[in-house]
Amino acid sequence: MSNSNNDILLAISTPPFWHCGRTIRKNSIHTLLALVPAVILSLIQWGVPAARVMALSIVTALVTEAVCQTLMKQKLSQDNGTAAITGLLLAFLLPASAPWWLVIIASAGAMGIGRMAFGGYGANQVNATLVGWALVFVSFPLYMDPNASLLQTTLIDPLLRAKYFGGAAVADFPLSDLLLGRQLGGLGAVQSGALFVGGMYLALRGIIRWEVPFSFLVGVFLSASAFHLANPELYAGPLFHIFSGSTVLAAFFLATEDSCSPHRRLPMLLYGLTGGVLVLLIRTFGMYTDGAPFAVMLINLLAPMFALIRSHPFGTVPGKARQTSKTEGGTRA
Amino acid sequence: MNRFMQELTKGLWKELPPFRLLLGLCPVLAVTKSASSGIGMGMAVLFVLTLSNMLISMVRNIIPSKVRIACFITISATLVVAVELLMQAYAYPLYLQLGIFVPLIVVNCIILGRAEAFAAKNPVHLAIADGLGMGLGFTMSLTFLGSIREILGAGTWFGHPVMWDGFQPFTIMVEAPGAFLCLGLTLAAMNYGTHRQIMKKSREGSEELPASPCGGCRACAMGRNKD
Repeated sequence: MSNSNNDILLAISTPPFWHCGRTIRKNSIHTLLALVPAVILSLIQWGVPAARVMALSIVTALVTEAVCQTLMKQKLSQDNGTAAITGLLLAFLLPASAPWWLVIIASAGAMGIGRMAFGGYGANQVNATLVGWALVFVSFPLYMDPNASLLQTTLIDPLLRAKYFGGAAVADFPLSDLLLGRQLGGLGAVQSGALFVGGMYLALRGIIRWEVPFSFLVGVFLSASAFHLANPELYAGPLFHIFSGSTVLAAFFLATEDSCSPHRRLPMLLYGLTGGVLVLLIRTFGMYTDGAPFAVMLINLLAPMFALIRSHPFGTVPGKARQTSKTEGGTRA
Repeated sequence: MNRFMQELTKGLWKELPPFRLLLGLCPVLAVTKSASSGIGMGMAVLFVLTLSNMLISMVRNIIPSKVRIACFITISATLVVAVELLMQAYAYPLYLQLGIFVPLIVVNCIILGRAEAFAAKNPVHLAIADGLGMGLGFTMSLTFLGSIREILGAGTWFGHPVMWDGFQPFTIMVEAPGAFLCLGLTLAAMNYGTHRQIMKKSREGSEELPASPCGGCRACAMGRNKD
């Protein structure tokens, strides 16, 4: 694949010979395109500080990847855009007031420990963005808390209010505010409406499989409904949970990372559903207000388990297929 | 005497317990929140390991091999209780800090591992050398990991501040994930160094099988020979 057309080299290669033309680079471009609305809205909302965090995060991610690839004697691959996406998504999870060293640590950690330590793009078990985020979120809770930082804002964090004052306190929180990102949180993660539009674009283009975000949101919806119906005073409604915090970002952009999510329809549906339920469990019973990023990290780790659910090979009966494989293993041993 | 020194020094680098043999990882991960608790835990293990190796080596010809594991555990449990009581008497703060991990030394696989693999087959003086070397290596490794985690995670070393004034402690390093991060990165660095050494040696064209980087199974070296 790496040979350019100019090489006169008669190489013998294995199928498939037919290629649909999709490359990592094209996927990245579409993903970045899908993130543009959220970037614009967060720039309108936060202004220069948000631009600073995003730029710093992306540049650090690119530089870290380049340095690691040079050290590991790999081919430089900054032009395929995956590092830029990791940096941008990471910036979305940080508050606009994040100090420069925090952004650099998070972004370098995401690329260095989250991705390159495992061997590069496609080799990581847990979403690299979230590794970087968790690194700084656990280490520097004070700087990661938009409430405590010096943002000149009158916005409130709806999840914080829902957690400590009960669902009734946010019952009249307008849905339009949630959709337009008028809530306190990560600088881009709260742009639920814009991210939803971008995510739908990706799902329709087939860049991400619809099963994962769909079942993720269904999981949030179902479990939030269950809590809400049980006690509406205490627990907020399902739409609130879907569009507050970083649920939409997690469903469309984090949970769908290729190397960390299972294949096939049923495993993907179960994977997303587990994530959605975990979001609500962490938000309701956990010590953190927004459970979405942690939920995605957990289902990333569970993805190999979901991947064990396979359909039987074409043309065989399920029970028989297992038996033949057993005897084969026996003879080989 | 030569053999004695050999058994003593192998635990210090060539078969460094947590990093080369990957034995006794439970306290390595759990109690290395600070350099001082690392050194305390290491000393406790050093004490138990040396004495249990000595005792087991002394009785190695008396114990029927069918019940040897039970005997090993009885001996090490006795010693651990002694350590626990000594700690309560003379180092109570350290005892509180280490908590459940002192009694857990009994089932620490490094104690049983050395008893089974070395002390039960070798004379007393070599068993003592092995226990001392392994224990010292273990203490060194724990202090090393504890130092890294304490310096990064709290900005102090043995309780004294060592970082600059505006330093923001990297709290994750003293939490559980920090232990895994530190251990993983240290292992990676050590394996990388060993790998480079081997490569260098084989490039120089020495006929001898290079020492395996992973604790002596030599499978990799044999595999390379087959190619």
